[in-house]
Amino acid sequence: MKELVEYIARALVDYPDQVDVKQVEGERSIILELRVAPDDMGKVIGKQGRIAKAIRTVVNAAALKENKRVMVEIIQ
Amino acid sequence: MEYTVEVCARNVEDAVREGVEKLGVKQDNVKVEIINEASQGILKILGAKPAKVKLTVRKKPDEYMKDIFENLMQKMMLNAVVSVKEKEDESICLDIEGKELGVLIGKRGNTLNALQYLANVIYHRQFSFGRGRILVDVENYRKKRKKTLEQLARNLAVKAMNTKSDVTLEPMTAQERRIIHLALKNHKDVITYSQGEEPFRNVVISPR
Repeated sequence: MKELVEYIARALVDYPDQVDVKQVEGERSIILELRVAPDDMGKVIGKQGRIAKAIRTVVNAAALKENKRVMVEIIQ
Repeated sequence: MEYTVEVCARNVEDAVREGVEKLGVKQDNVKVEIINEASQGILKILGAKPAKVKLTVRKKPDEYMKDIFENLMQKMMLNAVVSVKEKEDESICLDIEGKELGVLIGKRGNTLNALQYLANVIYHRQFSFGRGRILVDVENYRKKRKKTLEQLARNLAVKAMNTKSDVTLEPMTAQERRIIHLALKNHKDVITYSQGEEPFRNVVISPR
């Protein structure tokens, strides 16, 4: 799951080296903390959060099989 | 779209930078050949020659997008085959086939639409001069959905006529609304229009 978010983020940004994802695992949920270069924030959020929402939709679909809730948080 | 370009500049770095800009792609997708380095000549004036480089795009849009999707499928742990087709208007069709790909479609195509949206953003980031669109389909879902929507449009047109009142459809993507509009374009008793703001924009079928 972590690699999926990393991969999508790297394809979207100008500074792929600065993409970092930390996985915080809970009992029934996984939190993925996505960090990107300050200039790239808009590139992973999009107008009205459209890109962020699409990333979450795709990640949730992938998480369906593992029966866990996955939350993607974009951290400044 | 141009996929190869030759540039002359004061030095190699400048030539590469200029060339990458001309191609409108990111530098990691460019192969650089140095045709000749800059030489300064005598006193930097006589016989000075500019640097000349040839740049070629490594992966064209169709290959590039196919790669992206193959990696995505692998990271989502799905066993799927991706095939790609480029249309005349530079649009790229990506078809994904395999077993148990329902998760890729989601409720009413939700996941599929998110994937397609991301694919379009990635494509335009990588190829800033690209004029095409990326169309993603899983197991012919779009084709089946088109048939369903056309049937729905015809049924609701009858309902609008019988009740002599407007019929409001649920919110849809632009691509799906278009199917409804086209299905009833030549209908003699109803007209269609869209109302509301994205992402809740929806079609209304109204008796003439």
